[in-house]
Amino acid sequence: MSKGHHTRNIWLAALGLLGVLFAAAAARADEPLVYATIQPAQIQLGESAQFTITNLGDGTTPITLPVVSGLKFEIIARTHEVQLINGTTLPSSSIVMRVTPQIAGIFTIPAVTPKAQPLVLQVTAASSGTNIPHPAGPGAANPPPILFGGSIPKGVRLTDDGSAYVRLSIPKREVYVGESVPVEMEVGMRSGFVSSLNGLPKLTDDNFALNNLSHQPERTEKQINGETFVVLTWRSTLAVVKPGSFALSAEVPLTVKIRTRPKRESSLDDRFGDPFWQNLFGATVPKDINVTSPAQELTVHELPAEGRPADFHGAIGTFGIASDVSPAKADVGDPLTLRMRVTGSGNFDRVDSSMLDHLDQWKTYPPKSSFNSSDPLGLSGMKTFEQPVIAAKPGVQELPALTFSYFDPNKRRYETVRSASLSVSISPSLADSQTAPGTPSTSVSPETKYTAGLRPDHVETTATPSLIPLYLQPNFLPVPSILVLAFAAGWVGARRRRGVGERESVSDRIASRAAKRVLAQMQAAARVGDTAQFFDSARTALQSVLAARWQLALEEITTTEVEGRVGEENEIRQLFALADEAKYSGRKLNATDFARWQRIVRQHLMSDNAT
Amino acid sequence: MNNLMRTALVFCLLLGAVAVHSESKPVGYSAAALYNLANSYARADKPGMAILNYERASLLSPDDPDVQANLRLVRASAHLPAETPDGFDRIARIATTFWVSWLGVFGLTLVGGSLIVAQLSSRHRLVRGVALLLGVSMIGLTLGSALALWPRLHQGVVIAAATPVRVSPVPMGDPLFSLPEGEKVKITAEHDGFALIETRAGRAGWISDSKFAPIVPR
Repeated sequence: MSKGHHTRNIWLAALGLLGVLFAAAAARADEPLVYATIQPAQIQLGESAQFTITNLGDGTTPITLPVVSGLKFEIIARTHEVQLINGTTLPSSSIVMRVTPQIAGIFTIPAVTPKAQPLVLQVTAASSGTNIPHPAGPGAANPPPILFGGSIPKGVRLTDDGSAYVRLSIPKREVYVGESVPVEMEVGMRSGFVSSLNGLPKLTDDNFALNNLSHQPERTEKQINGETFVVLTWRSTLAVVKPGSFALSAEVPLTVKIRTRPKRESSLDDRFGDPFWQNLFGATVPKDINVTSPAQELTVHELPAEGRPADFHGAIGTFGIASDVSPAKADVGDPLTLRMRVTGSGNFDRVDSSMLDHLDQWKTYPPKSSFNSSDPLGLSGMKTFEQPVIAAKPGVQELPALTFSYFDPNKRRYETVRSASLSVSISPSLADSQTAPGTPSTSVSPETKYTAGLRPDHVETTATPSLIPLYLQPNFLPVPSILVLAFAAGWVGARRRRGVGERESVSDRIASRAAKRVLAQMQAAARVGDTAQFFDSARTALQSVLAARWQLALEEITTTEVEGRVGEENEIRQLFALADEAKYSGRKLNATDFARWQRIVRQHLMSDNAT
Repeated sequence: MNNLMRTALVFCLLLGAVAVHSESKPVGYSAAALYNLANSYARADKPGMAILNYERASLLSPDDPDVQANLRLVRASAHLPAETPDGFDRIARIATTFWVSWLGVFGLTLVGGSLIVAQLSSRHRLVRGVALLLGVSMIGLTLGSALALWPRLHQGVVIAAATPVRVSPVPMGDPLFSLPEGEKVKITAEHDGFALIETRAGRAGWISDSKFAPIVPR
């Protein structure tokens, strides 16, 4: 782009502005003669806008230069012009100011006159820079530095173009693994040369971790070599994960504006020598860079194994403890709170304690902790452990002293601090109490809401060993159980006996019917005088009876068998003999003999049924 | 008949031995003593302990009208809802559990004897029928009493004011709700100094052993 081209652009812009002002004046002649404009109305942090106050009047209108917190106003030009339009003389004057935001946000620039309108400038935070076009490719010539040489503060190393620097401050050179070390990272950005901060600063070594790095850094301004730098400062703690010697540095991604052509080729740049004019006329392009701090040497030691206490949990620093318990008086079973307060400075994230564990006469629960920091980094403060404990027995109970172990990096040894033991007065629980409370039941006590209408006490009677009803007590349950079993057994026995009797009765009935049938047959035979039939029926009936009685087969009941068992003179044996005789000899009996033998047979049959 | 007499003799000996054994334990509770203790707590403005001991006295002597009256009075004074007795409760209040227990045994004897005699003889049917009915009634009375008192064996009484009910059985457990002193709750489980309780409204949670007491001590 040539020098003549630039000059033409300026004149065209001025003419356009005049045309706008003239049209406005013609259309709204009663409007105030003082105007303020801002171009552009939306910028990013690190960029500048042009704020112009134009006075079309005679210059008598008082103008208040704006003052806005977070915006920096610098007057860069004043102009006075007189124009002749349609034969009318129009004087005008302008004040051109550069507006540089110091923070992102939406700013309201108050009106420059009472009748004018306020203006709004929107400043957005710096973008990641991915959409910002990069400058020329690898073949392009390196742009000349904007700032050269000069004395700079200790620990500050400017980038090649002088636009930014990063400084890492560590107060110690020797630390221990696990120790929390405060660090400070300072990012300086020359006003107008850095268009965006593309991320938070980070450490270049993976063996270190930054804790609690705030997203809102402290913002100040600093003069370096006569130039204004916006300085952002982050404070954090450094955690070291392994021993060794390290060269530690911090880096931060930035987008800076670099010139696209040698300084001598731009007469306008030479005239103004200011980045604002470079922005205005497109003399720079953005470029993403990583700015790194000078390395800091750091030696990390392993914690010594010798003398390490059993309750050491990794706390490194300087600590002290105190303890208390509340309430100081309680009932058995009531939870108490035992507190241990660890105060000091160090890595509180590793300050831990199991407090009391497996204590006789006490039931203990795991403690919980809370931390109140007294500094933004959490390096100092107070960590409070609260442990619920419950006394198992009444009386004055003692809670033993609490201990806490840590490593003191200054003394380079482990330390154990101890609190005082605590005494607690424990009363018996109400639930376990079987005695009356303080007021004796027989005494006259003041009437309360519970005593109005209370029925009087009883005379005490005999006591029982348990509140469980007798019928549910294990000692009593055998009584109904045995009773049930006994009655069940008795019922079964009675039922069995009844069954036998019933069976015998049935058999008796059957035998009786058979006997009656035989006797009827004998009666019929006697009526017709059939002696053989008479004795045959009698013998058959008696054979059945004797076979059952002697447990013999029916055919085994012969005259000989009967004679052998009952003798020769027995009536049955005689009946058997007469039966044979009547069968083979045809012997006849008279009515008297029939009746006699009929009676004898009946007597034997019936007596057998009875037995 | 001789066998039956021998069996009855052995049974009576066994019964006597069991009865002597059941009475040989050391004594500890009396309904009157618990009632008087409850009165003392009521006078001392401790409604929780008063209700607890009235409930305990009521277990031993459900038929004592003084126990029931004072229990109702203290519950009402503590702004606890009144309890409506059901049918089983009325049965349980007929007599003390001691007499109800032996009444059940006597009823069992009547029923068993009636059934055995019925097997042995068919005479005196009316007498046997009356004895059977009486025995069944006595057994029913005992069962009704047991059904009425059984839930109370698994209940507890809150003895501290505004007792927190927690979500878990640890002192630092988050509180779900709180119970008034004297509230009767159902105990469903126990764990490490805490009891899982259920209120009449069906809400459940853990309560510290020091804040409540079971009606029947463990």
